[in-house]
Amino acid sequence: MTKDWVASETKKDIVENKYFSDSNKDYIYKAKINIYNHKFGGILIIKKINDQNHRVVFTTEFGNKLFDFLYEGENFRKNFIIDNLDKKLIVNTLQRDFKLLISEKATVLEQYHVEDYKVYKTSGDKRSNFYFINKKSHTLDKIVNTSKTKEKVVVLFTEIEGDVANKIQISHNTINLQIELEKFAKY
Amino acid sequence: MRNYIFILFLLIVSIGVQAQETEMNTSEITAFKVQIKEVSKSTTTIIAEFVQYKHLDFLTSDIETSGNMAFKAPNWVKWEYTSPYEYSVVFKDDLLLINDGGTKSNIKMGSSKLFKKLNELIINSVTGNMFDDGGFEVSYFKTPDFNKVIFISTDKKMAKMIAVFELHFNKNDGAVIEVKMIEPSQDYTRIVFSNRVVNSEINDEIFTN
Repeated sequence: MTKDWVASETKKDIVENKYFSDSNKDYIYKAKINIYNHKFGGILIIKKINDQNHRVVFTTEFGNKLFDFLYEGENFRKNFIIDNLDKKLIVNTLQRDFKLLISEKATVLEQYHVEDYKVYKTSGDKRSNFYFINKKSHTLDKIVNTSKTKEKVVVLFTEIEGDVANKIQISHNTINLQIELEKFAKY
Repeated sequence: MRNYIFILFLLIVSIGVQAQETEMNTSEITAFKVQIKEVSKSTTTIIAEFVQYKHLDFLTSDIETSGNMAFKAPNWVKWEYTSPYEYSVVFKDDLLLINDGGTKSNIKMGSSKLFKKLNELIINSVTGNMFDDGGFEVSYFKTPDFNKVIFISTDKKMAKMIAVFELHFNKNDGAVIEVKMIEPSQDYTRIVFSNRVVNSEINDEIFTN
């Protein structure tokens, strides 16, 4: 994906995502999920519990929990998941998507200039992440997760106010899965 | 000094209120069940407003959503959330009709035992007629302000999702005023009803989505 990009000398060591970084805030989003054209909705709740830990909980509109994940630094724990979703592929996909969303800092490996963006490449295990920082607004507008050859997941942040993204869209390119998030107005 | 006396007074009052929740005796339980059955039988429609509080122990405040509910006997129900988002579900015969802010979908309840059970529970919670359901261990309490029934799930699948249902009933008219669903983790969802109107004309068109 980087073949037409202009590489620049790396000046930044760390790239940050502050959208879920305030432990005083309850992050509450209305979610719409489209998986293989099966549509369902719910409420996504993210809370930074302390320096290293995040809870990520998804409930139906009626409040029933569908899953409850705990991220402790690099460790991941499934506190709860309903039987219908408790499949390895689903859990791994959700775990990775939300990890991408809540990870606050990543070490920069390479840096590029792409149109209106400064792009920072960071590494996962077998995958890489590209953070797109808007040159004008200095906001993080996009994260792209790739394998060696393919764009796997694209996260778009829009309607950004300070350190809050009011709309977030997570799209998968290799499986038919889209997640749309819209922040509750009063939280 | 005055403040201390006032706080002391509040403490005494609140302890007093808590202490006044007592278990019903056998004849009280019988009378209460008769009241609820009568109410349930004579209820053809209900409309009410509701506020839902989702409590998760790690959050700073409960998540508040609200809207309107409509019921038409024997088994049509519409839940409509209007704040902070638009979302409605109609339980109608064997179908679940969902309108998620304009995105519409249908689910056949026949395909899911859990949805069927959910529908039953919703209707029974709204009408208060949960006592004949085999899947619960039931106990009865009274307070000066309302009657309270606790349903402990004995069905394993249900208990994994909701361990305890707690219903509060208006003492005078037997109406359900609050439903609390407690998860095994002790997190809960609390739904509080208000402006309840019984047996008014409700157009069937409300139950479309």
